[in-house]
Amino acid sequence: MRNIAEIYKREIRFYFTSPIAYVVMIIFTAIFGFFFYRSLIYYSELSYQLMQNPYYGQRIDLILGVFGPVFGNNAIIFLMMIPPISMRLIAEEKKSGTIELLFTYPVKDGHIVIGKWLAAATIVAVMLILTLPAPFMAFGFTQSAEWGPVFAGYLGLFLMGISFLSLGILISALSENQIVAIIISYGVLLGFWFLGWVMDPSSGKTIGKVLSELSIIDHLNNFVKGMIDTKDVVYYVLFIFVSLFLSLRVLESKRWRG
Amino acid sequence: MITIEGVTKRYGQTVAVRDISFSVERGEILGFLGPNGAGKTTTMRVITGYFPPTTGNVTVCGHSVLDEPIEVKRRIGYVPENPSMYNDMTTIDYLRFVGAVKGVPKAVLKGRVEDTVDRCALKSVVNRRVGELSRGYRQRVALGQALINDPPVLVLDEPTTGLDPKQIYEIRQLIGSMAGERTVILSTHILPEVSMTCNKVVIINEGRIVAVDSTENIGKGLDQTRSISLVARGPFDKIKRCLASIDGVGGVKQEGESYTVETDKGNDLRPLIAKRVVDEGFELLELSSRAMSLEDVFLKLVTVEEEEKTS
Ligand SMILES: Nc1ncnc2c1ncn2[C@@H]1O[C@H](COP(=O)(O)OP(=O)(O)OP(=O)(O)O)[C@@H](O)[C@H]1O
Ligand SMILES: [Mg+2]
Repeated sequence: MRNIAEIYKREIRFYFTSPIAYVVMIIFTAIFGFFFYRSLIYYSELSYQLMQNPYYGQRIDLILGVFGPVFGNNAIIFLMMIPPISMRLIAEEKKSGTIELLFTYPVKDGHIVIGKWLAAATIVAVMLILTLPAPFMAFGFTQSAEWGPVFAGYLGLFLMGISFLSLGILISALSENQIVAIIISYGVLLGFWFLGWVMDPSSGKTIGKVLSELSIIDHLNNFVKGMIDTKDVVYYVLFIFVSLFLSLRVLESKRWRG
Repeated sequence: MITIEGVTKRYGQTVAVRDISFSVERGEILGFLGPNGAGKTTTMRVITGYFPPTTGNVTVCGHSVLDEPIEVKRRIGYVPENPSMYNDMTTIDYLRFVGAVKGVPKAVLKGRVEDTVDRCALKSVVNRRVGELSRGYRQRVALGQALINDPPVLVLDEPTTGLDPKQIYEIRQLIGSMAGERTVILSTHILPEVSMTCNKVVIINEGRIVAVDSTENIGKGLDQTRSISLVARGPFDKIKRCLASIDGVGGVKQEGESYTVETDKGNDLRPLIAKRVVDEGFELLELSSRAMSLEDVFLKLVTVEEEEKTS
């Protein structure tokens, strides 16, 4: 446990003393803020028009109207912003050679992976926490505060972000070049994204359904609508687990070959 | 203390180390000597558990590196050939980090870091980043991170390469000061370093061990030839013939008025040679005998290997 904590602390300190975490967080919150602002404006204009017309007087949903689109767009920002965080985790140690000493310390390989993973996951969590003023503002507007669905959306984003991250660690373990690592991460993540587009799942074909089930983005849909479905949670947890497990295997086999 | 049994290590098709075995006793300082590419670094990486051997095993303090790698790693402090450390950390933070990762109890960590700073003379750079330090200081930090958990075994891969003579001297003093209390394996291709700091030598060439002995014995024990050099005045070929005719003389080399006579086995031929040269009427100016230096042994062993291979 202490090993994991020490490796975690070192990584966190690295992130917060180097520009990378700040750059990612600033760009992320700025884009998130922009999407949120646009959605909110659109939503308030829409509800204003609806209020003028007594036939459409019913309240339109804040979740579907504002947060749905924002969370949905957020997926693509995550896809761009998380590989820069994950790419260095192992590749950098291999390139600079610091991994040689690390591997001769009495630490299990698994602890190294988990310590690094937790540190990067913390950055993802901080990115999301920085956007929390948005729902507070939105609820200030309407008084009809409903935190449950918003929480579901955040949970979905967090799980998806950690999944991106875990895949990023695997790719970082495979490469010692960070640029190669980031580009492969983009490629593979986009691949998982497009899986859902290969075939229309509503066409009834099994293959289309299966591909859609594997798509990393399609599992976000329910969360974005404010629903937590066990199936989606299981998907992300499995995705994370498999990625980390493979990372560990890669570390061990690389060492075997020298 | 440390036993290396039949270790072979392959990188893909290339065999870096081939079936080597030797052991190191508690408190010994073992010099691991070999030319570039001999397999020193590879062997050390196997000992430290950085990677497992392709075949064979290493045991450190009774723990096998294959079965209990963590136990082995707990007992070894390692200084790699070109130590890469976390350049973004300050010296003191780095030592603290390594100590904690290696499992030094929280209660004693602070004291241990202070001791290490004193011992490795790092006081003046504790707050500098490791990446900004000069080669000599980096090497001391590397030694510091190896010593931080007070391990009984130290593995040092060419610890003095690239240092100035003063730093070399200091690092050697530091290593020497640990004699008896720790077991040290130290690789080098600088021969005097071995005679100066080690009490046992293993010579490795092209992945094979060519000699194992104590530092004093390696010159005489392995190869009984001694060479006698003399300076004499007179016709070169006559002197040469006279020397060669003496019983027990292996070979004679001549260079100006100096002659080098290779004799076999232990018996001292100096009185006989002196008598003969004088009797034949040549003027004997100088006569001396020397045991082979480590350098001679090394070159001889390494070149003999080469000849055997080509024949
Ligand atoms: N990662 C690697 N992949 C492939 N071959 C390697 C690798 N590392 C070392 N070798 C080869 O293994 C052999 C032994 O190398 P090693 O680094 O152990 O030698 P060394 O005795 O430490 O040499 P030096 O004195 O130059 O440090 C060399 O032929 C080298 O080319
Ligand atoms: Mg080497």
